[in-house]
This record gives sequence, structure tokens and C-alpha cells, in this order.
Amino acid sequence: MFTLPQKESKAPTTCPGPASTQDLDSNHGDGLERECSRKPDWKLPEFCGVGDPTATASSDSSHLSSRGSIIKWFWDSAEEGYRTYHMDEYDEDKNPSGIINMGTSENKLCFDLLSRRLSQSDMLRVEPSLLQYPDWRGHLFLREEVARFLSFYCKSPAPLKPENVVVLNGCASLFSALATVLCEVGEAFLIPAPYYGAITQHVYLYGGVRLVCVYLDSEVTRLDTRPFQLTVEKLEMALQRANFEGVKVKGLILINPQNPLGDIYSPGELRDYLEFAKRHKLHVMVDEVYMLSVFEKSAGYHSVLSLEGLPDPQRTHVMWATSKDFGMSGLRFGTLYTENRDVATAVASLCRYHGLSGLVQYQMAQLLRDRDWINQVYLPENHARLKAAHTYVAGELRALGIPFLGRGAGFFIWVDLRKYLPEATFKEEMLLWRRFLDNKVLLSCGKAFQCKEPGWFRLVFSDKAHRLCLGMQRVRQVLEGKSQVPDDPASCQSQESGNQRSGGETPPAVL
Amino acid sequence: MSHRLGMFRMPSAQMRGQGLRNQRIHTHLMEMMLHLKQTIEKNLMHLTTRHLQQDLVLEEQRHSQAASEQEALLGRLMYQLVNLLQSGAMGGLGLQPSCPSLDVRHDVRGGQWAQSPRQPDWPVHQLSDLEATFVSQHLSSRGIDISALYHSSFQDYKIYQRDKYHEDKNTMGFINLGLSENKLCLDLMTERLSQSDMNYIEDDLLQYPDWRGQPFLREEVARFLTYYCKVPDQLDPENVVVLNGCSSVFSTLAMVLCDPGEAFLIPAPFYGGFAFSACLYSKVELILVHLDSEVTDANPHPFQLTVDKLEQALLEARLTGKKVRGLILINPQNPLGDVYSRDSLQGYLEFAKKYHLHVIIDEIYMLSVFDEFITFHSVLSMESLPDPNRTHVIWGTSKDFGISGFRFGVLYTHNREVASAVSSFGYLHGISGIAQHKLCRLLQDREWIDKVYLPTYRSRLQIAHGYMTKKLEALGIPFLNRGSGLYIWMNLKMYLDPCTFEEELLLHRRFLDNKLILSRGRTYMCKEPGWFRITFADKPLLLKQAMHRFYQVLSEQKQDLIMKQLENAQRE
Repeated sequence: MFTLPQKESKAPTTCPGPASTQDLDSNHGDGLERECSRKPDWKLPEFCGVGDPTATASSDSSHLSSRGSIIKWFWDSAEEGYRTYHMDEYDEDKNPSGIINMGTSENKLCFDLLSRRLSQSDMLRVEPSLLQYPDWRGHLFLREEVARFLSFYCKSPAPLKPENVVVLNGCASLFSALATVLCEVGEAFLIPAPYYGAITQHVYLYGGVRLVCVYLDSEVTRLDTRPFQLTVEKLEMALQRANFEGVKVKGLILINPQNPLGDIYSPGELRDYLEFAKRHKLHVMVDEVYMLSVFEKSAGYHSVLSLEGLPDPQRTHVMWATSKDFGMSGLRFGTLYTENRDVATAVASLCRYHGLSGLVQYQMAQLLRDRDWINQVYLPENHARLKAAHTYVAGELRALGIPFLGRGAGFFIWVDLRKYLPEATFKEEMLLWRRFLDNKVLLSCGKAFQCKEPGWFRLVFSDKAHRLCLGMQRVRQVLEGKSQVPDDPASCQSQESGNQRSGGETPPAVL
Repeated sequence: MSHRLGMFRMPSAQMRGQGLRNQRIHTHLMEMMLHLKQTIEKNLMHLTTRHLQQDLVLEEQRHSQAASEQEALLGRLMYQLVNLLQSGAMGGLGLQPSCPSLDVRHDVRGGQWAQSPRQPDWPVHQLSDLEATFVSQHLSSRGIDISALYHSSFQDYKIYQRDKYHEDKNTMGFINLGLSENKLCLDLMTERLSQSDMNYIEDDLLQYPDWRGQPFLREEVARFLTYYCKVPDQLDPENVVVLNGCSSVFSTLAMVLCDPGEAFLIPAPFYGGFAFSACLYSKVELILVHLDSEVTDANPHPFQLTVDKLEQALLEARLTGKKVRGLILINPQNPLGDVYSRDSLQGYLEFAKKYHLHVIIDEIYMLSVFDEFITFHSVLSMESLPDPNRTHVIWGTSKDFGISGFRFGVLYTHNREVASAVSSFGYLHGISGIAQHKLCRLLQDREWIDKVYLPTYRSRLQIAHGYMTKKLEALGIPFLNRGSGLYIWMNLKMYLDPCTFEEELLLHRRFLDNKLILSRGRTYMCKEPGWFRITFADKPLLLKQAMHRFYQVLSEQKQDLIMKQLENAQRE
């Protein structure tokens, strides 16, 4: 059933401690969901300001089911920042004063290489078997290729097996399917926050599964040797707290390299987290979607698949996709690797709804097979370009005296703009985000990642130099108080009147 | 749902090797039930004796350990039960290799299937392997349901995937006429999709898309549907959402139109995929509007859908407290092949409007009408829809263009709310940008579709249909002679004695034993046993081979029936 679990009524709505439960709390849905959890009849909350759901959802809700209204709200609010962006996208020639997107984590540095490769003649094969109903786990030729590919790039001690591979249309689908087959409605996964906020929607839409945040601090202390460090103690505390609140936690989500921190877990840390999960019989979903986007060699990335003797192989599920590492978020290709055949089978049972075109499967197999091109052309070039772009943005930030994290992996830098907030609230963070947007640069604010400290922003640097340059210029203008576009007093006012709580705002969606 | 039980029901007749096998399963089942009962009793005893212990901490530990052990044991037993029940549904496939020319390889594989309904190379699920089945405790209960439902619904398909008939390489392989897949025009499609305009890559195709579908594709879909559905006014691309297949479209609609436990009306028999989709993710119930084959005054055509029947089913459902949110129509109908007249359609839509029901209308076979005397009326062609905000149309390329592997489905709805809500799922049902480009090119090429593809497709359908119907007539098998779809709905009741779903299942297995896959009426929720759907949209040579096997099975079956009747007569 999709009704909100009664457990939630027990969850304290005040005083979010280090592990307060996110009642289907999302990058966009905070206010809405919290309100909903108090009202069993699913009435949408009175909620004004940005992305007001009542305006649309209550207008003619007779056409939608209760859950349909919530689902629609995800769409409407996700649209907010991006609708503005899409209506006014920057284009060098046609719209030079348009919005620069430094909010979406996409790699736009290698289209030239990719389109050349994807246009080669070996990609163009069409054969009848590719046009017919497939094996829902993915065509065997592709699963074999994925197994070989991951064996090689994840440095697995033994060759990975094609029968442990399930292919579907992106990691979003994978999160959704895993949530569905591992949890009952209302159960939860632990996730260290800040995290890639869209996961909230992925596990909730079909699965009705919630995320319990393991909040990380920016402050460096005796125990935390680096900002936002994940420790087993924090995991334990978050789990205990969730148990105390009556929330059943079934698993732990790890993102490695981490999004938005750019953090990389050492093999020792990884093993600690996995041991923790084993102790509590938690599934671990490791999202390694940025594994080949480690552009700083010294960072020393280790896939979970490279570990000798996984603590609990039957509960360890690895996700990878081409969206980030091959800059093809529009291709919709994601893959699961799990030794647990029951999980693989159960996920495959849902693949009827998450399949990808046979022709694209063929192209993916061709791409992953071309080790020469990947190793000699694509990866070196991609890493060099990422590094150059990173160096540029990092330099700009340093010049501005802005603290940031960025450890040589991913497409983004986690930026500390706390000193620019007159008050340490999410409302101020939101206002700053809007000032950026008004000055035609789209960023993602920390709230969208469930960061508990207001004032952090994620800045995506994997874009062409001229756009990056212009984007940074606009960022600087805002921070130095020299925005070209004056703030719109009307929009500020409507927000103020609508938001009593700092958390009740709608931050922009994050992709 | 009762139909799920039906799939697992054991045949009562002691026939051939199956009787023996069923008996064995039965005994096995009884033993396991007993074991289960004992375990539960033991568990209860533990719980009740708990307070007698003094040392609370120790007791707590001991108790939780015992509980988890027993939980594991219970889980294991339940899983085995499910396995057993499923192997029952699978039946004696392979136990009775009735095809004498089966080579050794097939025999061996058959033997494995007999042990386990699942793929032979997935030993995890074999009954004997206790430790392996243990891992099922990793899944949530709905996860187990999903797996089990999938296994029971797609067993035949999986066997077929592993051992497909090939005219040169595997003449003993399975011929699948149970799946509604259009294989008549793969040559044309392959050629068209290989043309250079298809291979175009640009930045936009590789980036995060508009989750409703790329604007260029939605525009093309709107134009395409406007033309082929003969829409009075141009359709609006803003009302189009494209996802990776019609199952996805239906699944999302069920999510946003119904809350769990709410229901849709659907005339039965109907395409089983709806039942699958309804319970897999969305937990929506289907209320069946049963149609009769018998022709009477009130029922001038076999399986005719009337507003009276709809109304009756709706009111009955409401009496039992069911909240019915909509009506599902398939037009052209699957498996009947019926095409609704404009008046009937109007009637159904008016009925829905009267009761504030959404109408989900699946027109996935709209271009597969091959009888020139039949006119298909898309619901979009109506001058004024009775309730446009509650009318949602589904179409896809899987059937009409024979590219089920492309994963492309379309929703057209005037209701922006519904379109937006469905779009939230775009993330989970997205189509590759590259595939979207190809689809756009395909739909754009009106000249090729109208002058090359459709004429060839329809004439091939006609020929294949003609061949198949002639064969059926020669065998004296009653069937519905319709001019649309890829399949024929036929009545094999006369081969069943008694005429029950158990016997229907046995006949189905007999076809399987002879490497022929058909789909039986039960999977379409037909209320009369004995109906089967046979697909004819395949190559002539394959059809010939299939009909040969078909004939063989029916002769065997007839022989058995005669023997049985003789035995009965002697006994009396």
C-alpha cells in the first residue's frame, strides 16, 4: 500500500537531530511531505511561494489519485529552476545574455569525441533480433560486455559474471527497482547527506521508500579529519535513531565518488561501511556512476568490486551507468551488478518497464568493447579537459577567497558561500540562489542535497571554457554585489510571506 | 486475484506421467505444510514461555536469535512452497518428451525444467538446494511477489528465449505463437532503420532530455496521430508524453489515477499484460466485465461488449465497496481482434462520463487492421469526446511497426494534470535520445509508411491470416474471424473433457511438449475454458511448421479423449 506509514506520526517534526528521518523528504518536497505526514488524508499543505503545489494540485484534483497529486507535485516543483533556464538558455550566438547552467551535473566537454565515435560504421548495425522483444535483463551480448568492462575498470579480483548483470534505462530506474524489491512501503535506506537529491524521488515514486539522512558536518574536529567525513559512528547513530523512531531501515546508499562532495572513499573506509552494513544486515547500494571521472590520479579511486572478499556479497549491489563517465545522460543506460541472484531476478522482473532499445544496447556494447579508444583517446582527453576546467574554476574561487571542496573527481565543486548569507538560514540560501538565477547563472543550492548547513552550493565545471568563464563572471558579480540585473522585489516578497520556516522552500531540482 | 490461484491449481485428472508427478508434488506439499505448522507452533511456544526466564538480557538475546532462526526457516519453507506451486504450473514439461526426435541435449534440459520451473543455469532456485533458497530472505515481500508473478507469467517466454526455433540452426526449437509479435516486416524495418538519416548524433540527444520526450519527437507524434487517427483538429504536442513502452505508460497512468486498492473496469478476455502491470507496481485492481461467447438476443455477437454489461459490472463492484476509477478499452481488441464501431465507442465513452470514470484506451494495433472492409475509429477521431479530460490514449510502435525491442510508447491526453503527473516518471521510463531520433525519422517518413510499409504489412497479414484460418477451418476449429491484430482467438473446447481450466492447462502443456507455445484463455481471464490465442504474424515457413505441430498435438489429444471415454464407458 502506498499510504504513509503510521510510524511517521511518531517521528518528531521538531528538532531534526543528526539523523532525523526524511519523510520522503526530497530536494524539492520538504515542506509538502512533512505536512502530508501529519495529515493522513493526504491533503496538500497550505504552502505558498516558490513551486506552490496547492495552486495546481487542488485546482482539479478530482482527476488524479491522492498519490497522483503528490507525484505531479514532484514534476511541477522540479520544473521550477529548469523551466526558467529552458525558457532562456544561453547560446553563444542566439542568446548571449541567456542563463548559464552550472547546476546540472553533465559532462559537456567531450561531445566531439563521443559523437565521432558513435557515428562510426560499427555502431550502425540493425538486425531483427535487436528489434524484437529482448531478454528483459538486457541482451546477453551487452551483459557480457558490461561484465568484462567492469572487471577491467573496477579491477575486480576475479572476472565478473554476465548473469550477475542487469541492464536497464539508467540508474534512476535502478534505484526505483531496488527500493521496490528490497523494501516494503514506508521502509527506508540510510544515506549520508549531502547527497544527490534526485534519489529521493527515484525511491519514492514507485517504491514508497524513504531516505534516512546521515548528516555530515563541514567542521573538522578530532574525529573528523576532513569536512563532511562519513564515519561508522555517524552511521550507527543515524541507524539507532531511525530504529528508535520506528523506521525500518533496510539498506545503505553510498555514492562513490560522492556527489556533491567529490569525495572518494578509501578501501579502508569502504570496508568499514560495508562491515557496519553487514553487522546490521543492511543492503548496500554503491552508486559508482562517477568512477571513471576521477581526473586526479593521486585521488586513488577503488571500486567496491575491487575489494578482496566483500563482507556481505549477497547484500552488496553496485550501480554504474554511462551518463556521467561517458557524458551521455541522454542515452539512458544503467547497470546493476549483484551476486545476489534473487535480487537480480527481482530487478529483472521489473525491467519490462525500464528497458532500453535493442539498437542502443548494441551501440553500448560496441562502445564498451572499444578498449583502445577508451584508454587511448577518450579517458586521457576527458580527464585532461576535466582537470583544466576544474583548475580554472578552483582558481577563480580562490581568487574570491571562497572555501570549497573538490578532490579531483566528478564534475562539480562543493562551494562554501556561508559568509554571503546575512543569516544562516535556508531562506537566505534560497535568496542567494535566486540572485544567481536573476544574474543568469543557475547553480544548485545545498538544500537540494539535504545539506544541513545553509550556504553550500554545488558548482558544475564540466562545460566549455567560454561558458564557464561567463558563468564564473556572473557568480562573481552576485557575490561582489554587482549584479547586472536588479533583484525583483516582488518575487522576494511573495517568498517571505509564504515561508515561515526556513526549510519550507522549494530549492531547485538537481539532476 | 483469483486468476493467480487459477494458474497454480493442480489438475485432478490422473493423466500420463503428469498424474504421478502431481501426486509427488502433492505429497511434498503436504509434508511442507506440516513442517510449517510445526514450526509456527514451536515459535508460539517460545513466545509464551518467554516470561518464565529470569535473566532478561540473556533471554532477550536467546529469544531474538531463536526468532531470527525461525524467521529464516519460515522464509525458506515459504519460498520452497512457492517454488513447488510454480513447478506445478509448469507441469510435466520434459517429463514426457512426446517429440520422438528430440536430441539428447533437449532431453537433459527438459529434465532440469522438471525439477525447477526456472532457468536451468540458475541453480539458486532448485528445490534441493536449501542453502541457496535461503537468500530469498533478502527480498522484501513485494519483491518476492514480483519475482514469483514474473516467473509464473513469463515461463513460456523464457523457455522460448533459450531454445528458439530456427529454420536452419534449430529446427527442433520452440515456435512461439503465444507472443503477439509482428515478425512479418523485419526485412522492411531493418532496411529503413539502416538508412543514413537514422544515424545522427548531436549534443542534445546525449544530454538530459525533456522527461516528457524530446520536443521534436512529441511534435512528430502529434502530427503522426493527427494523420493516422484522422483527428478533426491538429493534436497538441504538449499533450503527448513518450515513455519506453506502453506497459510503462499504463503503469504510470495506474499510479496517478488510482490509489492502491482502487480499480479499473476491463472487459474480459483481455491482454494479460494489463493484469501484470496493474499488480506489479501500482497495486490497482481490475474488475472484469465478463463477455460471453454464446450468441443470444442480448449478445448478438460472440464476446460483445455492451453498456449494460459495463454498467452491471460497475454497480456490482460498487456494491462491494470497490472504488472504480476508470475503464480500460483495447481497440482493436486483444485477443478478440474486434474493432469497435463508432457508435459502440461513443456508448462506452458516454457510460464512462456518466459515472465519472477515466477511460484508458489502448490503440496499439490501430494500423494492424488488414481487412479493407473494416474501418478503425480512433477515439481521437471523434468530433467531440464526451469527457476529454478523462480520456487517455495509448499507442506504440511495438505492434504496428513490429519493433517491440525499441521500447516506445505514447500517451495522448487532453488532461495536463495527468500528463504532468505521468511526466514525473520520465526519469524511470526514459528513452535514449538516439532512439528518439530514429523514431522521429521513422514516423516522419509518411511516404515510406503509406506507399511501402503499410501496404506490404497489411497484405502479408492478410496472407498469413488466410493461411491460418484455412488450416483451422480444415480442422473444424471454431474461431473468431476478424480482420485486425496479429492473432486469432479460437475455441479448442471440443478437445477438453471435462471442459475445465485444468484441462485447458494440460492441453497447453501438451503444446509445449511439442515445442509449440500458444497462449491459453485463462491468461486473458476468459471465463470459459478452452479458448486459445494463436499468433499468425510470422513467416509462412514457420507457420507451416507450427501448424504441423498443432495438428499433431490435437490428434494426440483426440486419441486420449477417445480412450478416456471408452474407459469411462467400460466402467459404467
